[in-house]
This record gives sequence, C-alpha cells and structure tokens, in this order.
Amino acid sequence: MRNGFTFFVGLFLALGLAWAGIVLGSHLQLGHLAPYFDESEGKAFPERMPGIAARGQLVYQDLGCASCHTQQVRRPDFGSDKARGWGDRQSVARDYVSQVQVQLGESRIGPDLANFGARPQAVDADRLTQYLYDQHGGMPAYRFLFETRKVTGERSAKALRAAAPAGWEIVPTPRAEALVAYLQSLTNVYEYPEARPVVPAATKEGEHK
Amino acid sequence: MSDQDPIDPRLEQAGASDESLLTAHEKLRGWKADDGANYRMLPLVLLFAFSGLIFYAGIYLNKYSVRYSPSAFDENAPANTGAGPAVKVDPLVLGKKNFESVCATCHQATGLGVPGIYPPLAGSEWVSGSNERLIRIVLYGLKGPVKVKGVEYGAAAMPVFGKVAGSGYNWSDEKIAATLTYVRASFGNTSPAITADQVTAIRTKEGDRKEWSQEELLKLP
Amino acid sequence: MTTAPHAADNAEVTEVDTSARCALLLLLAFAVLWLVVSGVLALVNLVQLHTPALLADCSLLTYGRTHALQETAFIYGWAANAGLAVALWILARLGGSPLRSLNWVMAGTVFWNLAIALGLVGIATGDGTSNAWLHLPRYVLPMMLVAYGTIAVPGVLAWSGRRHETAFAAQWYGVAALFLFPWIFSLAQVMLVFVPERGVLQALVAGWFVQGAWTLWLAPLALTAAYYLVPKLSGRTITSYEFAALSFWTLLFVGAWTGGRHLIGGPVPAWIPTIAVVSCALLLFHYIVVALNLRAAFSGGGSTVMKFMALGLGAYVLGGFIDAATALRSVAAFSQFTYFSTAQTQLALTGAFSMLLYGAIYFLAPRITGQPWPSVVLIRAHYAAALTGTVGLVIALAGAGWIQGHDLRDPLVSFAAIAAHVRPWLLIATAAQAILLFGNLLLAAHLVRLIAAKSAAPAAGLFRPAPAMEAPAS
Repeated sequence: MRNGFTFFVGLFLALGLAWAGIVLGSHLQLGHLAPYFDESEGKAFPERMPGIAARGQLVYQDLGCASCHTQQVRRPDFGSDKARGWGDRQSVARDYVSQVQVQLGESRIGPDLANFGARPQAVDADRLTQYLYDQHGGMPAYRFLFETRKVTGERSAKALRAAAPAGWEIVPTPRAEALVAYLQSLTNVYEYPEARPVVPAATKEGEHK
Repeated sequence: MSDQDPIDPRLEQAGASDESLLTAHEKLRGWKADDGANYRMLPLVLLFAFSGLIFYAGIYLNKYSVRYSPSAFDENAPANTGAGPAVKVDPLVLGKKNFESVCATCHQATGLGVPGIYPPLAGSEWVSGSNERLIRIVLYGLKGPVKVKGVEYGAAAMPVFGKVAGSGYNWSDEKIAATLTYVRASFGNTSPAITADQVTAIRTKEGDRKEWSQEELLKLP
Repeated sequence: MTTAPHAADNAEVTEVDTSARCALLLLLAFAVLWLVVSGVLALVNLVQLHTPALLADCSLLTYGRTHALQETAFIYGWAANAGLAVALWILARLGGSPLRSLNWVMAGTVFWNLAIALGLVGIATGDGTSNAWLHLPRYVLPMMLVAYGTIAVPGVLAWSGRRHETAFAAQWYGVAALFLFPWIFSLAQVMLVFVPERGVLQALVAGWFVQGAWTLWLAPLALTAAYYLVPKLSGRTITSYEFAALSFWTLLFVGAWTGGRHLIGGPVPAWIPTIAVVSCALLLFHYIVVALNLRAAFSGGGSTVMKFMALGLGAYVLGGFIDAATALRSVAAFSQFTYFSTAQTQLALTGAFSMLLYGAIYFLAPRITGQPWPSVVLIRAHYAAALTGTVGLVIALAGAGWIQGHDLRDPLVSFAAIAAHVRPWLLIATAAQAILLFGNLLLAAHLVRLIAAKSAAPAAGLFRPAPAMEAPAS
C-alpha cells in the first residue's frame, strides 16, 4: 500500500490547517471578546437582550427570516448601507457577543435589520405588528402569528385595527410579540473603539508601508 | 468494436477497461516537464501560472490583512488599529452630553443660570478662574452664600459629583474633567481644558470631606 | 489479487458490479426521490419570491422554511446519496474487488434517509437551526454521522485494499470525499449546534463548514465521477496528468480557507475575508488543471454521458472563475447579498455537481442492473431539460442579481421597487426550475422502469469487452 499513510496524513493536514486557521485562529482572537464597559455611561455594551427579545430571536431563527434579511451593516464607503439609514457605522464582532444565535444572513431580499430598533426611520411596535399581519412591501403576511378570538368583555389593548368580524378581534400571539420585541431590541449604535471609521489620513500612512 | 457504431445512450460502452486505465495512468505518474528532446510548453506555462497566483496572493495578503489584527474590520486600516489602549472620547463631546443631561437642569442649557437662584456659568469668574477652586466645587459641592459676577446668591447648594463619600452622582474623574472642559470652552468662556489627572490629584489630596463654603474656597490659590 | 481472476480483467461487468446492485440501487433510489422533493420545494420557494402570498398562511412552508428545506433535501438527500453511490462504485471498480459489508451500507442508507426525512419535518415545524447548509435540527445529526460512517467505510476499504499500488486521480478524490466529510460535519455540529461558539464565531464556523462541505466533499465526489468517466469513455489517457496531483492538493489545502468569502465587509476581522479572497484566487490553478486534464470531455462525440460530463465540467470551471471574481472586494460590494450569489450556488450545485452525477448514473445503472435503460427518448429529454433548466436558472438568477446589486447601491430605490425590477427575471428562473423538475421527474420515472424491468437478457452479452487504453503517446 504505497503512499497510504502519507495520503491520509495529507488529508488530515488539509482539513486541520484550514480549520485551525479560520476557526481556531479566530476563536483565539475573538473567543473571549467581552462587552465593552463605558465609564461615562456606567454600563457595558452591547446591552443584554430582554428575555422576551431572546425568545423572539428563536422565532426569527425558526421562521428562517435570515434567508431574506441580513444583520450586518457594512462600513459607510462600502455599498449603500449608511445611505439607506441602516446604521452610521459598520457592525463589529463585539455587537454580537451576547446573542445566542447570530443571524448575519447572506441575502438582502429585504432590508438589513442589524440596527432596526435605533434607525432614524424607526417603526414602532404597533406598526411593526401590523406589518407582520398585512403584507408589507415584498414581505409576506405572517397571519399564523396572530389569533382571531371572540371579544369577551373589553377589547384587548393589543388588538389590531384590522378588519375583524363584529364581536371578534385579532390579537398577536406571544410568538408575534416576542418577534416584535426582538426586532425592536436590535441596535448597532454604540461607538466601540474598534468601530470608528478609518481616518483617510491614516489610510495613506498605511499605503506607504 | 469499430468506432462507426452509433452510440446507444441506453447502454454506453466503455472506451477502455479499468485495468488498462489504471496501468496507463500509472505510467504517466512522475515529473516530465522536459521529456528528453520532447520539450513541452504546457507544463511550464502551468507552473508559471501557479507561481503568478501565489505571487499575487502574497501581495494581496500583505496589503490587506492588517497584520491579522482582531480589531481591524476595514482592510485599509492602519496596522495598529484598535491594538493600543482604547481611543479616548473627545472630552467636549462627552462633556456636552453630561452637561445637557445633568448640569443644564439648574444652570440652563445656555449656561446663564436663573437670576437670583442658580448662578450663571457664562463669564463666571469661578469657571474661568482658579482650577483648584472649580474642581473642588464639582467634586465636593458648595454650600452657603456665594457671589458670582457681582451678584450675591444667598443659599447655593451645588451637589456632590465626585467619586467621594456622600456623593449622589459618583462621576469618574474623567467625566468631571470632560464636563469642566466643556463648560470652560462654551457660553463665551475660553479657558484651558482640565485633565482627569488634575481632578484625581485634588480628590486624593482632599480625601472625603463635606461641601465647601465660599470662605474656604477663597483661601485657596 | 485473489478475488478476481485475470481472465476477467477486461470484462466490463464483474462481480464487483453485480454484488453491489442492491446497495447502490437503494442509494440511487433515495437520491432521485430527494432530488424530486427538493425540486418541488425549490419551485415553491422561487414562486414565493415573486408572489409572497403563496402558502403564506401555512406556517410549515414560509419562504424561510422552504428555502431551508429545499437546500437540505438537495445536499443531504440528493447530493449525498448519489455522490456516495457513485464514489463507492468507482472505488470498488478501481480497487478491483467487490465492496465489503454491503448489509451495513444498506442499513446505513436507510437510517441516513430516515434522519433526513425526520430532519425535514423538524425544519418545517420550527426546529431548524438557521445555519446555511446545516439547517437540520440537532436530534438527527448524531444519527446521520453514524449512518454516514457505515456507508462510507467500505469505500475507503476498497481503496486501501486496491490491487494497483499507484492510486488513480478518481480514487484520490473519492477517498478524500468519503473520509473528510464526517470530520467537517461533526466539527460543525459541535461548534454550531451542540456547544455553539460565541458571537460572530458562529458565522465563521458556518462559513468554513459550507466551503469545506463543497471543496472537501461535494466537489471531490463529482470529480471522482469526472476523472473516472472521461478517460473511461474516451479511451484516452488524461492530458497533463502529472499536474492532477498538484491540482488535487491545491483544492484540498486551499479550499476550506475560502470560508470567509461571504463575510466581506462584515463584522469579522479584515484578515479573514482577505484570506478567502486570496484562496479563491489560488484555487484558479485547480480549476485550470481540471479543465486541461478532462478536456477530452468537450470533444466527446455522440455519447450522452460525455455530454453531461462536458456540461458539468464547464459549469465547475466557470463557477471557479466567477467565485474568484466575486470574492474581490470591489466586486463583492456589488454582488454580495444578491441573487447573484444564489446563481453561483446553483451553478455549482445543479450545474456542476448534478450534471456530473447524472452522467455517472446513466453509465453506472445499466452495469449494476444488467439492463439497458428502457428508453432513449427519456434520456435525451432529461438531458435537454437539465441543460435548458440549468442554463435558464443560472442566467435568470444572475440577471436578477445584477439588477438587484445595481438597485441596492442606490439608496433611493426602495425594496418594493427592487422586487418589481427583478420580477421578470424571477419568473424566468421559476420556469427554468419547473423544466429542471420535469427533467428530474423523467429521471425518476426512468429509474423506476429500469429497476422494475426484469428481462431475461444475460448481462454478460450486453457489454462489449472494453478495449485496452492507448499507450500514453508522449
């Protein structure tokens, strides 16, 4: 069996080197990345997600929202991310340290959501809930996240202003509420030291090297 | 076995047996870039292409890897991005934020105060004058009568801001320095900045103490 | 040395083929079944893109879920089963002795496919993990790993027990694919699903896994078929064969480093995408050599198998060059996050992988069943459908991606406007996907007929004894 042993060593090396380089290498660099404590604000960033938002992240994950929406803002001179109001700075690794399941996404059939809760054209929770019920833009309606029920006593404060038969109301399920809370909790604003844009003068200096 | 047979897609015949396929390629193994007098261009061209790719890869890697820094997200960043200590926030920006969220409640966003109740900061001799006095007022507070710009304020009650006993704000020295720097550069004031080190020095010198009064402060340089 | 007598050395069908009949047919039947399932799901998925209301009230089949379902059914259903069948068969034939422990292979096949069925139900009911190429819920993953092992081990054994000491290119690719996948798969499972990494490291592991699964598993499986069938059909040796080994190791050593390809401009340190860009460029050497090695496929004459090979290889090499181009940062700023990336994936999966595997199946099935395919028309129709479907799908998606990329750069163009602009292209893509599905239905029907047909014709008479390969002329 000529070359048998060397062949398998080669296969292992091929696999191991790429794994060590990309996965292990970045793990060593970023694995212990901690939230950034801001003295002047007296708290750490990114802030922890409220519990309901963490549940909403699971809804986002299992419905596969990431197949149409990214959650990564590219730097201002890269694409139109800033011009579209998705965020003033590029997303950095630290933005994601407290997320259980990171949903960077690979497709922008819909807009980026990394900074959804803090965008200048922010959508409030009621309108967002309505968007999920109606078809909004190219996004399908998610009617199964709502239930139609009989009004007993007073109308629910959460009921949508959608056309429901008299005596009935349409209310979001806990899953819909969690999803909305999650989307509202997404922010990408805090200025980490590493998130500052590169100064053009510094770029020139870099080129001289 | 003639080549003129139409090929039946239902049953494609092999052009070579497995055994001969293996044997033929076994003979082809080995390096034959220059096979005797049979000089061949293709291997050289391929090798050249491979070296070219490696060369390009090296250049690109060298130019855009930012020395494998974990905190450089822009490939054009200078190599030391984020590697050193965290970049300080501009004190004027931080100071403005602090002033507007806390100080402006009494001294007003214009720095003019409220006549008879809250003394002004704009053009105040206390702001533009001695560092020693100004820092002490913010660190430990001020109680009792005070005279600003010739006007007497009967019962001043500047709260304690520093990280000292009895403080309701517990502002860090950096935060106090930034706020004072902002105040000294705004509302028409043009006094030099105050550093966090100056604040730290006074705080360590004085330790924990009660609010200052005007008389005590005026004894200081 | 002992199992096959030398008299049978040039017989086209031997015990190697007949003994593996049941196991390989089972793999192929499952493969084609999932191919059709994935085709239906892909069609639904594409229609949902331009008509979002379709099935919107059905929580099992939202766009996000049909996307995950069709991808999973394609990769773990069609690609894995078909690739394993072809690789096992080729390794056994080149090894020169029948496959061992075939009962284990069949048991493994049943469990592997059971796990996929379970996994697809899991994704539809909300257990999906939202990781590209690894949407499968956590509870089926360990079972798949074990099942894969039982299927793949006989292939590796066939290689290590081979009669010729010097291994042939098809054998390198086959063994590498069979052997490496469990490692990639288990590492990805652990780091993404069971003990997830923190933050963006998840995206990096996922990127490494996707590129690893392509360059260390699916692409080598397809190349196993190509490197075996092209010389086998043409009767001529591989051109510039001395470079095949360098090309093989380039793919293996460089391939998985392209993991950061889709994270350009993303929240990962800049060196990771930079390495991916560089690796994509280095891989060009591999693609050039594959094109040179197997160029006989492009002058194949009337053989249908060879036509499939030519299409697949063309798509493979073209895909490599497009990958290298879109990995460049200035191009990625434009093409990233658009349908153009989808087009690239389709070019690789349905263009390169499926075509090469179709060809291999048409060559393999008559040899293990001892029957010719029942119909010439069905084969020709499948070829025509696969060709027009793939070309239409890739071009339409690329066109949509081009427009989308252009529109995304202009902040004033709303998403509703983009959807309207790309709609015609998506309609073409849907039609192309329907044609592909039709072709795959033909393949499925044809395979059923082939298995069902029990003619009395003796297998031995069907195949001419294969001629000896021409001696390498300089």
